Amino acid sequence: MDVRIVSQAFDPQAEIAAFATGREDAGALVSFVGTCRASNSGAAVEELRIDHYPGFTEKEIMRLAEEISRRFNCPDLLVVHRVGAIRPGEAIVLVAALSTHRSDAFEVVRILMDYLKTDAPLWKKETGPGGARWIEPRAEDYARRLQAEEETR
Amino acid sequence: MHEMRVKVCLVFLGKFGDVAPAGLAEVVLPGDVHTLSDLKQWVARQQPLLGEAMAATRTRLIVNQCIAHDLSQPVADGDEIAFLPPMSGG
Repeated sequence: MDVRIVSQAFDPQAEIAAFATGREDAGALVSFVGTCRASNSGAAVEELRIDHYPGFTEKEIMRLAEEISRRFNCPDLLVVHRVGAIRPGEAIVLVAALSTHRSDAFEVVRILMDYLKTDAPLWKKETGPGGARWIEPRAEDYARRLQAEEETR
Repeated sequence: MHEMRVKVCLVFLGKFGDVAPAGLAEVVLPGDVHTLSDLKQWVARQQPLLGEAMAATRTRLIVNQCIAHDLSQPVADGDEIAFLPPMSGG
């Protein structure tokens, strides 16, 4: 289990390669990379800023990752989340999972992402030509989170 | 009776940080602030913009890095209390 909060741009492919190196015991590697879009709901995005609460953010993401990995028999998870100022095209989040068979790895990555959207102590602020605005989870994010909770019960 | 002097660190995250004055980072609380609920109301009186922002959304309080589930929890000297608006990770 590796959870990291980083304030500089990171290379998801290098992280995934390092995570999977030497793991001949695993038959499946699934990863998801979320990146900063150049526009959101039709408005241009020049910069995304993510706030975190040092110590608490890491602890909470670790707690979520441990809880979900236990339920899916998927002990090897990697989470790298960017904070600070992010430019369009840069990676925001990487979630990767190693497991014996593919279904656990697929599920754990999808469900952990659903949890991160609403439960990770992170706050996004988008800046564009029209000014800055804080982003809150959409109704769709809460619905997915609820569904994920039901699936892990 | 002599009141205990209660000094706490306050942390305002996300949109709350935009409207929180720097003077609220480390404060000595008045004698009538005993619980987290009292603290929340006191903070709202110190900075009405912050009070409005907290009233308009769900606010979670974190005490010494642990989620506070009950606002009747007492505030103690040396506590670090964070005010969290809804989160948006991923």
